[in-house]
Amino acid sequence: MISGNLRFEGFDVTSWQNLLSLFMPGLRDRVVRARQRPAGTLTVVVDEDDLVLTALHSLDGRTDAHTGQELPPLRALAAEAGARRVLVLRAGAMEELAERVALRYQPGQDYLTQTLTVARAGRELADAGLVRLWPNPMASVPIPSPQAVQRAMDLVLPVDKAALLVLWDGELWTAVALRRRREGIDLVAGPDLLSRWAGPLGGDWRRDHRVFVDAVARAVAPVHLGIFAEAATFRALLSSSTPGRWAKAIAVRDVVVNPMPGFVAAALSADAVRGVGQVSARALDGLDVAGLVLPIARMLRGRVLQAESVRDILGFDPLSALAAALRRHERSDDTEP
Amino acid sequence: MQLDDEHVPLRSGAVHYWRLPVESWRPALEQIRSLHLPMVESYVPWSVHEVAPGEFDFGERDRRKDLGAFLDLAEELGLRVFLRPGPHINAELTHFGIPPRVLEDPECQAKSPRGNPVLLYFPPRMFPVPSYASEAYLEEVGGWMKAVGRVVGPRIWPDGPVVLLQVDNEGGFFFRNGPFCQDYHDDALGLWHSFLAERYGDLESVARAHGAEYTGWAEVSAPTVFDGSEGPGALARQLDWAAFHEALLSGAIGRIRKRMEHAGLRAPTVHNVSLGDGGLPVSVPSLAREVDLVGLDYYHPAHEMQTVKRRTLYLAGTCATPYAPELGVGAPPWFTPLSHHDSLTTALTALAYGVRGFNLYMAVDRDRWYGAPIDADGRPRNEASDWRRLLHALEQMRFHELERRAEVALVWPREYARLARACHLLGAMSPATLEALGGTPIDACRSDRLGFDEPIQLAWWELLERMAEALTAANVPYVYVDSEAPAARLASRRVVFAPAFELASAERWERLLELAERVHVVYGPHLPSLDETLRPRVFDRPGGAPPTRVTHEMAHALVHDWVDRFDLERPYAALPPVDTSVHRRGDEDVALFVLNPGSPLTAEITLPGPTLAEDVLTEERFEGEERLQVPMAARQTRLLKLDIRKRRPRARAPR
Repeated sequence: MISGNLRFEGFDVTSWQNLLSLFMPGLRDRVVRARQRPAGTLTVVVDEDDLVLTALHSLDGRTDAHTGQELPPLRALAAEAGARRVLVLRAGAMEELAERVALRYQPGQDYLTQTLTVARAGRELADAGLVRLWPNPMASVPIPSPQAVQRAMDLVLPVDKAALLVLWDGELWTAVALRRRREGIDLVAGPDLLSRWAGPLGGDWRRDHRVFVDAVARAVAPVHLGIFAEAATFRALLSSSTPGRWAKAIAVRDVVVNPMPGFVAAALSADAVRGVGQVSARALDGLDVAGLVLPIARMLRGRVLQAESVRDILGFDPLSALAAALRRHERSDDTEP
Repeated sequence: MQLDDEHVPLRSGAVHYWRLPVESWRPALEQIRSLHLPMVESYVPWSVHEVAPGEFDFGERDRRKDLGAFLDLAEELGLRVFLRPGPHINAELTHFGIPPRVLEDPECQAKSPRGNPVLLYFPPRMFPVPSYASEAYLEEVGGWMKAVGRVVGPRIWPDGPVVLLQVDNEGGFFFRNGPFCQDYHDDALGLWHSFLAERYGDLESVARAHGAEYTGWAEVSAPTVFDGSEGPGALARQLDWAAFHEALLSGAIGRIRKRMEHAGLRAPTVHNVSLGDGGLPVSVPSLAREVDLVGLDYYHPAHEMQTVKRRTLYLAGTCATPYAPELGVGAPPWFTPLSHHDSLTTALTALAYGVRGFNLYMAVDRDRWYGAPIDADGRPRNEASDWRRLLHALEQMRFHELERRAEVALVWPREYARLARACHLLGAMSPATLEALGGTPIDACRSDRLGFDEPIQLAWWELLERMAEALTAANVPYVYVDSEAPAARLASRRVVFAPAFELASAERWERLLELAERVHVVYGPHLPSLDETLRPRVFDRPGGAPPTRVTHEMAHALVHDWVDRFDLERPYAALPPVDTSVHRRGDEDVALFVLNPGSPLTAEITLPGPTLAEDVLTEERFEGEERLQVPMAARQTRLLKLDIRKRRPRARAPR
């Protein structure tokens, strides 16, 4: 996951805030979130008889509404407290968690192993009824082994390779380069460093992106995945769930992905196929072509490890096909990329 | 700080020499000077300098580690130096700057109730934290200090630029400070027994207080769960354990300081207390007996202005020199994201309520940090101009010599803070952690009455909040004074309010009785009948007055009564939520802070006479005869330089 020798550098306060705002837009808006409901977590501590000892809302603080009473149904409790989720802890559960993690601690463990150890101990407490979470979408999800997570990481960002994200808003808005070594991510480099490595730029990001790829390859490691876009475009894509958006944005070069590893190509292909399906459906008076192509998307996911390029998988370039289709069927009210 | 004839303000900026190319040292230090900072600060990281057990590199192999050269360069550039050699430094270093070989030594490790190592889950590695009681650990620390002493000792003022040394760092048991997290190390349990012997006199008295039958010290076990609801004896033991944590930490800081002195590191010393101080098992007055200066660290988003206020009023009330060893500029990537506005607002707010000296952490950027005003090459970033303007203004107005007067003090009763910690129900998610995350240290307290009229562990905090709110609404400046602070911290006030419930520290009460002979003392809602070891005791009434029960409405009435009876000053009054704070030199008003914790508005401030005020950051000017209208953005603090040429003699604000 992350190396003990992790270096994080090259961000000023604005570029770091910009980067975080993409992935955690609500993180800094605690004041605003405090007014929205439901929001936050209600943590309740109970005794062995499920009597409430104390309750604490992450945005509102202490609440004594049910102190000394039997724990109400968690869904009702969440609604009453305006909480998005409820965490119930038996008194002493936190101490038990600490002891269980400490028992399994081994010098030299990496952060991934340590994190999974904590997760496993937490799961044990949940199984023993010392910890309850509502809702708990992860209840049936098995906690992976460190090896399984490593294999997934090998696919996303292989050892000794770099990943790069550069976003513009007229000028460079934020950027980050990650490098992975055997023991995990060991470098998180921000715009200050990337700009220094890249040197003078032409001012057209669709051309300049190549300069960044070359610079990172020279200074850090060969780039496995590079994503380049205008900040607004990228932000809209992150929040969009509409099939085909990503593929369309790449097809019309609103987003440049260079290099494009196999797993991204396959994912984009699936996205493109679903997008084409939806566009076709409109053209065919509502016939859901997307439903027909879903099996193809599943097949693509299955072949993701062998995928070297989109064309290899499909025998044609779906992005070109999508771009052509979009040119024919562009909706006038479509404001998203 | 007085150095012969030179008066040096305690204002510095952090530069981590070992994280910068040597070529960047000079431009970085020159930028520190250009920010109007007379001092530079750096940690000295043990794990970086130790290349093999007992073998150190101070530049012989790696030029970046040449601490001596860095100090010499600082001196050449006319900078004084504040050094922090740990042993714990955090500094966002893996293992907090302590060599893994030390942390992995079971003899050095703090122990959990079941004898396991106490782990701190912190990126990029979870690690076992050292025991503050461990003789083996302190022995290792002594070796490290000797190595530092060889380089730094000859460079301590007046022979060199080093004028200030910090002992350890953020001594809060490495953030594992829940009531039963640690420390059950054999050496800690030995100190527990010594502590009880000193507190009670002998084993028999301990047994009586704990309601137990002890035949030897080995039977006096440390509590591992809260059982205080089982009777006064059990509760007394819990309070003892909470008090012991404070004593253990202060004692360890004192022992580390002695090792530093032994190694030739003799200079005024500092210790810094982290966020969440209201819930930490740390006594600021007790630490102040071990080092020369105790300060608080500040890393807050702008919307935590009220928390900054409360913390600073505690610092200003409890310590003679309110100092911030870490006034955050930027943050580590794994911390709550902080913007430039957050850092600047926090700094201004801390200054508003009394911080006189500070260390900007970080002034120069480095690995595992963002947001410093100077980049790692020693070039100023955009944000540097605001800091330069602020620091220049502080220098010009000689801010370190000014005074914020507070005629009212709220006593911060340490015995109730201990009770609150003992009643905490979230283990390692400790009271201090909850407070640091934006809550309060009583948020996860059990609410049993424990045999009292009301749950004291909650009531003391709510009572202080109520009084603070009433004082703020009435525009009466106040401070919090720790109940164990030197008596002079209270004696200089005109009104003192002391929360009092059925139990109270006998020592605190004696001091209140003495104080009541010179100062108006209000206490309540109870006249105590038990000392802090739950033993019955006769408590006299301070000033002969009965206890006062303070409801919400009564708090406001009480404050207005004080204003009338004692003619309390309410300078530069403004309507809530706007708050003001004036800083003076003698009778001259020099600086006025205007604080808006809420939405945008125009603050209307009552003036003592015609006044011209200038915002030191924006250079906006505001002028008024009787009132000053100042537009305020949301969660903004302004520092206004007052033009005294247009001032008339001061008049009191009308009620």
